[in-house]
Order: sequence, then C-alpha cells, then structure tokens
Amino acid sequence: MKAAPLREALQRRLGRIAEPQILFPLIAVVLLAAMWIATAGIIRLKHTEAEHDAALLSRELLGTYEAQVVRVLREIDQTLNLVKFWHERNAMRGTLSELKDRGLLPPDLVFSVSIADRDGTIVESTRPLGGESVADQDYFRKQRDGGAILVGKLPRGATGDGKLLFSKRLNGPKGDFDGVVMVAVDAAFFVSGYDAAKLGEHGVLGILGTDGIVRVRRSGESMFSGDALDYASVLPTPDDADAVPPVSRSSWDGEWRWSTAREIYGFPLAILVGLAQEEQLAAVRKDAVIYLSWAAAGSVGIILLMAVLGRMSWQLAQSRLRESESKLEHARRVEYLAYHDGLTGLPNRSMFSKLLAQRISEARRYDKQLAVAFLDLDRFKQINDTLGHEAGDQLLVEVAARLQGCVRDSDTVARLGGDEFVVLLPEMEDGKQAIVVAQKILAVIGKAFTLIGHEFRVTASIGISVYPQDGQDEQTLTKNADIAMYQAKAEGKNNFQFYSEKLNANSLERLTLESSLRHALERNEFRLYYQAKRDMRSGRIAGMEALLRWEHPDLGTVAPMQFIPVAEDTGLIVPIGKWVLKTACLQSAAWQKEGLPPLSVAVNMTARQFLDEYLLQDLAAILKDTGMNPNLLEIELSESLLIHDVETTLRILTGIKLLGVRIAVDDFGTGYSSLATLQRFPLDTVKIDRSFIGELVGPSEDAALADAVIAMGKSLSLTVIAQGVETKEQAEFLRAHACDELQGFYFNRPLPAYQFAQLMRAQTADISYVGTRAGLLNPQL
Amino acid sequence: MKTTWLSAMIFAVLTAGVRAEDIVVIVNPAAKPVSKAQVADIYLGRSAELTPIDQTVGSSIYVQFYQKATGRDAAQVKAIWSRILFTGRGQPPKQLPDSAAVKKSVAANPNAVGYIEKSAVDATVKVALPLD
Repeated sequence: MKAAPLREALQRRLGRIAEPQILFPLIAVVLLAAMWIATAGIIRLKHTEAEHDAALLSRELLGTYEAQVVRVLREIDQTLNLVKFWHERNAMRGTLSELKDRGLLPPDLVFSVSIADRDGTIVESTRPLGGESVADQDYFRKQRDGGAILVGKLPRGATGDGKLLFSKRLNGPKGDFDGVVMVAVDAAFFVSGYDAAKLGEHGVLGILGTDGIVRVRRSGESMFSGDALDYASVLPTPDDADAVPPVSRSSWDGEWRWSTAREIYGFPLAILVGLAQEEQLAAVRKDAVIYLSWAAAGSVGIILLMAVLGRMSWQLAQSRLRESESKLEHARRVEYLAYHDGLTGLPNRSMFSKLLAQRISEARRYDKQLAVAFLDLDRFKQINDTLGHEAGDQLLVEVAARLQGCVRDSDTVARLGGDEFVVLLPEMEDGKQAIVVAQKILAVIGKAFTLIGHEFRVTASIGISVYPQDGQDEQTLTKNADIAMYQAKAEGKNNFQFYSEKLNANSLERLTLESSLRHALERNEFRLYYQAKRDMRSGRIAGMEALLRWEHPDLGTVAPMQFIPVAEDTGLIVPIGKWVLKTACLQSAAWQKEGLPPLSVAVNMTARQFLDEYLLQDLAAILKDTGMNPNLLEIELSESLLIHDVETTLRILTGIKLLGVRIAVDDFGTGYSSLATLQRFPLDTVKIDRSFIGELVGPSEDAALADAVIAMGKSLSLTVIAQGVETKEQAEFLRAHACDELQGFYFNRPLPAYQFAQLMRAQTADISYVGTRAGLLNPQL
Repeated sequence: MKTTWLSAMIFAVLTAGVRAEDIVVIVNPAAKPVSKAQVADIYLGRSAELTPIDQTVGSSIYVQFYQKATGRDAAQVKAIWSRILFTGRGQPPKQLPDSAAVKKSVAANPNAVGYIEKSAVDATVKVALPLD
C-alpha cells in the first residue's frame, strides 16, 4: 500500500536529478570525490611503502655497520692482546718496532699504538715520541686497578678529528701492574662507512658507549662527539629487535628519524643507525605533489567539462523553452486568427457565434433581452468593383472603426465576411436601446469616407432581431436578423428594420429565388422575348428589344422585376447579362441568315453589368463570336445610371461606341439629367419613360411635359422612341409630336423568338396586313 | 755579516720545504709504464693491478704527490683510505720512511709502484710517469 507513493517520491527525486542544473554538478562532485579519494589512497600507499622501505633499509644498514664495527673492534682488541702478549713475554723495550717490522700492527694511517710504563710515561709508540705522561688519565688509573678493555671518551663537541682510545693493562712477571697498551683510532674512522647514497645528508651513523655517551656520530659530512643519550631507551628490547623501528625525534638536531641501535657483543659499545624521515620520504612527497597537481588539473578539467556540458545542456533547455514558447505564441496567433477577422481585427463569425451563444445563456439566466443587429453596406460591391479591392478594404476597416466607436464596451462588433457586420447588444432593457444604436450606426456610416483621395458616401441596411421574442437560440436570432436586414434593403436601403413573422415569409421567398437563380443558367431556364419597335410613320417594324424571362420549373414564368434585383445584388447579373447579349446576337445573326431583314436589337444593361470591368472585352468577344453586325446592336441604359459618375460613364460609353455598338438611354426624363451632361455622351437613342406616355391622355400640362421631353431628345439629334404605348390615343399624340418610333403593348407584346420571326415574315409578305393585325391584336392581349 | 748568513740559512731551509721538487712515479725496470689515471686509481684504492708504496704520511713529497697525481689533499686521501679500510675492502699502501727505501722496494718488486724526487732516480728503477 505504501510502496506506490514511496516509489513516486523516489521517481520525482530521480527526475529532479536528471535536470541539468543538478545532474552536472552531481556528476562533477562524484567524479571529483572519486579522483581525490583515489589520489589520497595512492599517496597514502606510497607513503606506507616508503616508510616500510626506510625501516627495512635502516635495519639492513644497521646489520652492515655492525659487521664492520665488530671487525674493526676485533682487530683493535687483537692488536692490544698481541702487544700485551709480546710485552709481557719479552718484558723489554722495542715491542712495537718489532711487531711493526713483522707487519703485525694495523696501518699507521688511522691507527697508532703506544705503550705507557707503570708510571704512565709513554715509552713506545708508532708515532713520534714526545715523553708525554698519561698517569693522570682516567683510563690509566682504571687499568692500574682492573684489566678489561677500556674505550676512551672524546671531549664533547669534538668534530671528528679526535682519537678514540682503546687500552689494556700490561702485567709484570708476577701479575703486577706494568703499564698500559693503547690503540688510538681516528674517531672519524668509525663513521667513515657513512654512505650518503643510502643515509642521505641527515641520516645518522654513530657509536655509543654503554655509559650513554656518544663516542662519535656522523650526519652527512659533519661529525660530532660527546652527546649524552639514555642508553636503555635507545636500545630496543630483545623482543622487538626485528620489528620496524619507530620514528623518533632526535634531541640533538630535531630531525625525525627511524633510529635503531644494537649492542656490540664483548665491548661496552653500541652502534646507532638513523634514517631521516624527511629525506627518505622526499621522493614520495615529490610524487605526492605531482599526484596532487594531476588531481588538481583533473579537477579543473572535470569542472570545466561539466561547466561546458552544463551550459550546453542549459542552452538546449533554454532553446527548447523558447521553441515551446514560440509554438505557444504561434498557437495563440492561430487561435486569434481563427476567431478574428484578419482585415479589421474584429471577432469573426466563429467568435461571434460563441459569444452570442454565451450571451443568450446569460440573458436566459438573468431574464434579460439582447439584440443582434445585422448590417450590410448598400453600395459596397460597386465600390469594390470600381475603386478596387484596396479601397474596398480601406472602407471596411474604416467602417469597423466607426462601428466600434458608436457602441458600448460591453457590446460586440463582429465582421461576418464581405461587407456584413453584426453588432451584439447584450443586456438590453427594451427595444428602444436597439433603435438608438441603429440610428447611431446609420449616422456614422452615412458620413463621408475618403478613399484614394475621393470622398464617398455609403449607406447601410440594418436588420435587428431580439432575444427572446425573435428566437431562442443563436442560429434563429442570426437568421432572423439577416431576414430583417434584407427587408431593410427592400425598403429602399439606408434604414433599419426589426424582424417580424411577416418579414420571414417574404425573405424566405427571396432566399428561395436567390438559390434557384444560381442554377437557372446551368439549367437553361432563361428565355429571350422580343418586342417590336415600330416606325412612327410607316408602322413597320423598325427594330426590337430583347427582354429576359425566367421560366422557373415550379414558379412558372418569373418577371424580370422580381429576379433582376436579386441577380444584381448577388452579382449573378453579370453572367446572365452576358448570356442575354450572346443569345440576342446569335438570334439576330440567325434571322439574317434566313433572309429576314436586318433589324436592330436592343439589350438592357444594369448598373452592375455596365460597371463590370470586363464589359468591353466581353462585348467585343461576343460580337466576334456571333458575327453580329455591331451597328445593329443597341445597349439600353437607364438615365440614372449614366449620371451617377459622369467620368466613368463617359469612358465606358466611349469604349462601347468604339466597338460600333449603339447606345440608348432608357427611362429618359426620370433622371433629372441636365442637357449639358447628356450632350457629353455619345448617345444614339432616347426612350421616353412610360410614365410620361401614361399621362398623355390626362390634363394638358402632362402632354406639354411629354412634348418637352421629345423636343429635348430631338434637340440632341437623337432617335426618340416612346415606351409603353398602350392606347391608340397615345400613339396618335406621339405621331403628332414627331416621335420616331413606338414601342408598347398597343402594337406588340413581347414574343418568343419563333413567333417574332413569323411576325417579321408576315410583314415582309404584306405590309398592310401587319399594320392592321397590329391594330387588331392589341385590344385582345 | 753574521746576521746575513743566518738569514740566508733560514731562507734556504724554508725554501727547501716549500719549493716543490719534481716528483716522478717509478716502477720496476721490468714493468710497463703507467698512465696518470692508473696511478691515481692505484693510490686511491680503486685498482689493484700494481702494489703502491707510500712515503711518510704528511711528508712534503706525500702531500705533493697526492696533489699532483690525484688532485686530492692529505685529509681527503685519508678519508678515502679510512673508508676502504673500515669497510674491509683493502689495506692502505705500505709506508716507507724515505725515497731510498721506496726505490729499493720498487727495485725488488716487479709489481710495485712508487714515487720519489726526480733527482733520486737511478738505474735500479724506471721512471714510469713524471709529475710536474
């Protein structure tokens, strides 16, 4: 039971050890400890060995020295005995010369032999005689009383040039005292075996009397005599005679030595050998210094290595940390990008959904209201198309800033994409708050924007849905705000609308329309109808206008008024418009091939199409592909479109004109355009708006207005066409006022291509028939 | 006059002791000549190929000989022979009282080598090496 936490704790500890700031110092400490322990061990071992060697050496030296001393002493003793024997036997002078001549005396170099008579006077000697007396000498008196060999002393402090005196009593014939025989030896002789190679400069070789007085001792080249030692303590007890000699401190020079002594058998003397510890261990100490230096160098190496490894490891850890931080930073950035719009920095759709869901749950909990306001810029697509994306982006950024400037901090502004923004107003007390905010928004958006050096005004349409009445969840609220926004657009833009159930139905229809419109081209659901334009005077067909119809599989034929605005808003108008142009041109070319008369074909063009940047290219391509005569093609544009941006319009119109295509102004008279402006455009035809025609039969001032409009067209030297002519009276009036061509239900309804072809064939065959047919046809349809 | 004579006498005695006379190393006429290095080895106990014969220790000729032949003074020579003697590796050269005795000994022993004043050389011995 307890094992698991224990093991965990252990693992944690071990884990910590693996961290570089702990691991490398730890390794360093372990290595250093191992190295220093090994070094200390080696030094200690060497030291012990050296001590052992020194002890052995001292014993070996003692043995050698003993042998040498014993031999010399025996020789001296023999000499004394020989002289004694010779003297006592012959009892006459000349003993020494006799013996010397026989070569029985030791070399003169170190030994000198003398004989003193019973009075102490030197009577014979191997050295020159000076009549000295030894009667007062201590040994002389002692020999007079005893008979053993005596070893003399040297004065304390003598430095080796003294003589060590060995003496023996001489007996007369009756055993009475007859003098003393003496052998004097250079004290230095006894220590001449000092071998510096083994004993060094501070070793000791010496001879000691049983009286405790040192006869002579030598250290290096210096000799000394006369120190007193405690004889008993110097000599080892017989038990430990073979033991390793101890280290002791010398009383005379303070040197620590392995000292050993041995008594000489048969003589009152002992020998002394000492090895200086410092000297004997010098080599080991030197080695120790070398080992310690190596260990120190090794330590520095280890520390450096560990420092380098530690540092590298630390840097690695740091770079890993940085890497993970940068990953984290990257992740944050990715998350930011995932939840924010890159252009404006506002929350994006995902973020907004999350926020909205969160706010809804809060509002539910605290029983509050909240509003979602959808906002769409009304003319954004045109700005984007005419001024370019950069200007469009600039506008969006500015709009985002303005939106944020007019809401509270607790409100949220998000960009859903394109020019769609949404404002979330949580914690609303009542709907009026949303109204205030919506008005504020419309006001700030309505202020002029300066884009690429030009001032522009845009408007916005806002749709608002409110929790809880317009939806209980995020999706419903969003969808309903969107529907309300479409309603605001439908209401003429630049306004805001609250969501209501009714709106939902309308918008659903529109949504359905929009989605099926997307597939209409592919499914080939569009048809072109043709309506004749008739010459005012002859009544013959002067041309035709191509009119678009959508044959929806479920809804039946959908009128242009219903779907063109949707196509315009969604941009679908561009491909649809191209299809119309192409189809009209192909049809016209086909009819001419059949041998039908070449008639002009008018095609309507919306603002979106007109401002499409590929318009001229597309137009040229269509003319080329279909083999259509450009002079027969007429583009109809509404007057309000022309005067919107005069310079741009002029540029495009000139382009169209260069292709050889004719240009007509539709709905002429409604755009309040000045004559001066119209004069600048390369126009061919004006079509008087149906509103003027409809009033012709009423009060006379209306007729005057129509007359003025016709006169205006005439003054521009243009072909004037009357649109929407539905009654005979209207036709009569227009004919009287010199209108050029007529178009309307009174003469011809729009017809499918094959019927229109029949109409043309009939006219070719019989002009009067067509004229009456036209008159007859109208009231029925 | 008397003092002048006395001074001359004293001077003569002093210079006789101080002034170095030429010393020669002698061998038996039958022996081969020796080199200076051989002489030094023989007299310092390092070689036993010939038997060295010494003069009185501390005499003028002794001192001069060792100085010239071995480059050592009397004390050093004594220390060397002391050590040899003490350690039992040899005996110091036999000492004879004067050059005549040395000459006689060398003449008698074909293995002997000795040193005497140059002036003392005669036909009984052969000069092996002059020292100057």
